[in-house]
Amino acid sequence: MTEILLIASARPELAVLTDAVGTLTSLGATVRLAAGFDLGEHRDALARTGCASLHQLPRTFHGRSSVVRREALRLGAGEQLWLRSAGDKDLRSLARDAHVLVALDADAVYTVWRLARRHRGAHAVFGLAPAVRAVRADATPPSALTRVRHGLPSPSVLTGDLRRGMRRLPGTVVRAATVRRVLRTSAGARLWRSVAALPALPDRVRAPLAREAAEGMRWAGRGGGAALTLLGAARRTSDAELRATLLEESARADIAAGRPPLALTEAVGGWLSLADARLGANDRREAATALHQALPLVFHRALHIDQLTTPMAQDAAAYTRPLLESQTLRTVAGTARGRAAAAAPAPTDRPLRLLVMTHGNANFLRLVLSHYEDRPDVELRFVDTMQHPELRRLARAHWRVIADRLDAATWYRERLERLLRPHLKWADTVFFDWCEGPVAMLTTIDPGTTRVVVRLHSYEAYTQWPLLVDFSRVDELLFIADHVRDLCTSYVPQLSSATAPRMRVVHNATDLSSFDRPKSDDARFTLGLVGLGQIAKDPLWALDVLERVRAYDERYRLVLVGDVVDPEKSGASRQYRDALEQRLAPLVRAGAVERRGRTDDVASALVGIGVILSSSVREGCHVAVLEGAASGAVPVVRDWPFYAGKANGARTTYPEDWVVSDPEEAAGRILRVTSSADRWRAEGAAASKHALSTWDWSVVRKDFDDVLLHGGQPLPGADRS
Amino acid sequence: MPAPPDGPGRRRHLLYVAIGFPPAAKSSTYRLRETANQMCAAGWDVTVVTIARDSWELESGIDPSLLDRVDPRVEVIELPLRRADLETEIRLFPEARAADPMGWVKQLRERNKESFPEAAFGGWRAALERAVLGLHRARPVDLTLVTCTPYVTLCAARALWEKHRVPYAVDFRDGWSVDVVGSRTAFGPDSPEGRWEREVLDQALSLWVVNDPIAEHYRTRYPHLADRVKVVRNGYDVDSAPDAAGREPSGLPLTFGYLGLLSSPIGQLRALLDAWRLARSTEPLLAGARFEVRGHGGFGADRGGGAKIELLRRSEDVGVHFGGPVNKADVAGVYAGWDALVLLVLGGRYMTSGKVYEYMAAGLPIVSAHAGDHDASTVLEGHPLWTGACGLDRRKLADGFAHAARLAVGSGPAERLAAQAHARPFERSALMAAGAQDLTARMDRQTLLTGVPTP
Repeated sequence: MTEILLIASARPELAVLTDAVGTLTSLGATVRLAAGFDLGEHRDALARTGCASLHQLPRTFHGRSSVVRREALRLGAGEQLWLRSAGDKDLRSLARDAHVLVALDADAVYTVWRLARRHRGAHAVFGLAPAVRAVRADATPPSALTRVRHGLPSPSVLTGDLRRGMRRLPGTVVRAATVRRVLRTSAGARLWRSVAALPALPDRVRAPLAREAAEGMRWAGRGGGAALTLLGAARRTSDAELRATLLEESARADIAAGRPPLALTEAVGGWLSLADARLGANDRREAATALHQALPLVFHRALHIDQLTTPMAQDAAAYTRPLLESQTLRTVAGTARGRAAAAAPAPTDRPLRLLVMTHGNANFLRLVLSHYEDRPDVELRFVDTMQHPELRRLARAHWRVIADRLDAATWYRERLERLLRPHLKWADTVFFDWCEGPVAMLTTIDPGTTRVVVRLHSYEAYTQWPLLVDFSRVDELLFIADHVRDLCTSYVPQLSSATAPRMRVVHNATDLSSFDRPKSDDARFTLGLVGLGQIAKDPLWALDVLERVRAYDERYRLVLVGDVVDPEKSGASRQYRDALEQRLAPLVRAGAVERRGRTDDVASALVGIGVILSSSVREGCHVAVLEGAASGAVPVVRDWPFYAGKANGARTTYPEDWVVSDPEEAAGRILRVTSSADRWRAEGAAASKHALSTWDWSVVRKDFDDVLLHGGQPLPGADRS
Repeated sequence: MPAPPDGPGRRRHLLYVAIGFPPAAKSSTYRLRETANQMCAAGWDVTVVTIARDSWELESGIDPSLLDRVDPRVEVIELPLRRADLETEIRLFPEARAADPMGWVKQLRERNKESFPEAAFGGWRAALERAVLGLHRARPVDLTLVTCTPYVTLCAARALWEKHRVPYAVDFRDGWSVDVVGSRTAFGPDSPEGRWEREVLDQALSLWVVNDPIAEHYRTRYPHLADRVKVVRNGYDVDSAPDAAGREPSGLPLTFGYLGLLSSPIGQLRALLDAWRLARSTEPLLAGARFEVRGHGGFGADRGGGAKIELLRRSEDVGVHFGGPVNKADVAGVYAGWDALVLLVLGGRYMTSGKVYEYMAAGLPIVSAHAGDHDASTVLEGHPLWTGACGLDRRKLADGFAHAARLAVGSGPAERLAAQAHARPFERSALMAAGAQDLTARMDRQTLLTGVPTP
């Protein structure tokens, strides 16, 4: 009787399995199945396939040492199955008896491969049809003697296993020596840091040792120690690429732990040097790869977005100087291929074809789309590249954009021609909202005679994307605020070059008219903060303000509208959230703070709010303030620290008297404007009037018409009232 | 100068690089076999280069009955090449492959593309070039004919041209720069594939394709090659057509059939089965009807299994039956046992498919599950037992099944013979003979004009 052992990591297709088991049984075989998936709910169905026995392989590492569990984290699914199952006595017994070992899926292959090396007499195949073929080919199972002989692993297998064991020995030893209880102590962590930085260790030993030790430290909750270990090892590493890699790993370890990355400058410098050396050797693809490593580090969101401060805010040009000193980056950011033909004027004999594009975020397009949808002189088309499987992928193909700018041959441009050209041919004007990767993608190809308008909100200024966009193919770049424009032009070379697009500030499209609703008298003592889902909104500052006004009058309270920052985003987010929750708890208990969570009806939420706060460290225009002001709440706006003291910022975005420097000044303004009901109502009415006459869609839409329909020119004699 | 007459010492030597030659049970194998036979008949000594037959066990399998009708004068050289990406013998895997089979194959494909821009086959380039140069040394080659896929065979033709100025022709079948499934251009002229295609075709004596839309694509893309583009349709083999004379109208329950590689995506197969389910529940003639699916499904580890076979097996409650592949010698018998045929084919205007000709020649009603502007519609137009193209809309396709059922029970010998007569212009040996004669004539013309054969 031929014994077949099937091994599956996932439940196999039942009907196909039934057919194959039927065929194998008819050839005189006994078929058994060892399952890496949970047999529980499938046991009956699998029993009906004709398998003579079903065996459950261990599904977890429960009960295994932390050394094994840590090793498992580094392995793929196939090796994990083997690591779980290698010690399973029943599996070993089934494998010993099997004439044919069959992997039913890719993740079961490694287990069969390892078993096959132990049991040389058995066939080892991947798939059911090869199993049937193997049984047909071997009509007579081998004799008992042959099986005993072949059941023993060959000397070469033993040597191979020994070699594998030796190769893994250092890792295993280090892993065993870096268990949690050792690395939880400062002395243990310091010892391993020193070992990884010992002089005279060859790179091939140092790097794995440092990584094992760093992994152990993370495992023990010492993320900072992990970063230091990798940094120390990197500084002793001679191979340039390995050194840059270790430095990057160190920086990322710090970031993950919510700490400023000590190795950041060195890591970026390492990758940029490599990129320049490769570019010098005309190895453009590898130069692209090195720059592709550097850019996400420089613009890591944990450094700029999920922070209360950023070196970009202090001096963006200085922060990005090392980048711009790199020949590779200068080549990429300086790629200004221009266009073969100028953008054509708007057609006069037919409706203008307007293509509005975005990548998964149409939050600020609703009014724009509905405005142009109804106009007879506009034919509107909307494309969300996120909804197009291939464009979605290409829009995030960072390396391909860089490689394209370096003229490293890839199929990227050609693929974009095929996907985007039909849209560009159709459109007279393309309006792309958010200046991110998809705009870098769009400007990879010549837009023909189509006008290209791009809007940059705020967060994009802290990403790599403005450096990767070919602005010589953009006709008009819209900003939502002057200070964002100032920031971008300070470090994006193309925006201060001769090929720079026309730049202008156009306010966000916001329908403020629906916010103007009557407020009750109680609202006078209610401060409101709408939107607190990012660290940059800094609700802790609002609590500082609240405490100061409550010290004067306990009737003041704060309403928080929106979800707090997601702790999963980064280490910094986690830390901020913890600090916020700690401060909020007693205030909520005392009734001083009310948490309302996220709402789609902000206008109703604002009815009970008398003072609208902007506590952010950075904003583009802070829509919640515009809406709050329109509702008649008195605005109190922090002089956003990212831009404070610069030519433009909160003080040039809003009337000067709305803006305050610190919580003290904020409390003073609040106490002043709410000192009486009449004054509060008068201040609120003035704010509402200013908001509606400056930022309401009825005013702003004329600017959109000028930009999108009239080639960037105001329509002569157009009614701008 | 006429072609040299058939006789010892006078026959020119054709090297035919035809990966998929019998006994490989591939859908293209009939065309390859007939090409070799007809070139033989046109006065050539034909040496076929293909890969080892056991390699096909990883892919479409083998069918020894296919060898029966290979001209005995054809010499077949099997190179020891194998699709490493489809390997199923786990003992042959290096540890890295065992640990991550998908990742390893992905890397292999990338490496393959470094030799030639074809993920699955690019790595065969060196072996193919070495082999054909060796064969030329052993007996000088007068003309190379390569048939694609795989496209890496183009390297063999180029190697002989560059080293020894051996003229060559390309049987592109479904073309390369045209995506016959997506009905669009597959790649641009500056891509690696585009550069290869242009370079190869610039010097080619002739370029064969299987239908007019593909020919049009090439004539437009390379206007200077327009007169070298020749349409050589696939056609059908006479011995695959059942005898329809005297076949009476079908009785109930009816049996519908599908024969061929299961190449359509699973979504299309699901749509077809949904329509079958609907038709069976609404059309009285289909109550109790059976739908037999025969052919290959899945490659490598998935061979004979996979999601499509699972789907078919799960549809047994509505009379669906998957019966596996059919040997070429048994094809006519299988058709004879069916009452109507289901033509499920990929693509659109650039795709004809080989099976449409065989289906027409079976003299049975045909339900067409493909787009209206599919090239299969072009050749089916006028077939008296055709339901018309139903697309993959569930209701339209269900109506198509009902229509075919009515045709099956209402058609007698006269209608069936008329259907077979519609197929007759597409008899494969005649089509391929015309191709072989055209190629021979081009070769003669070049020799006559220049003294040496150059395109």
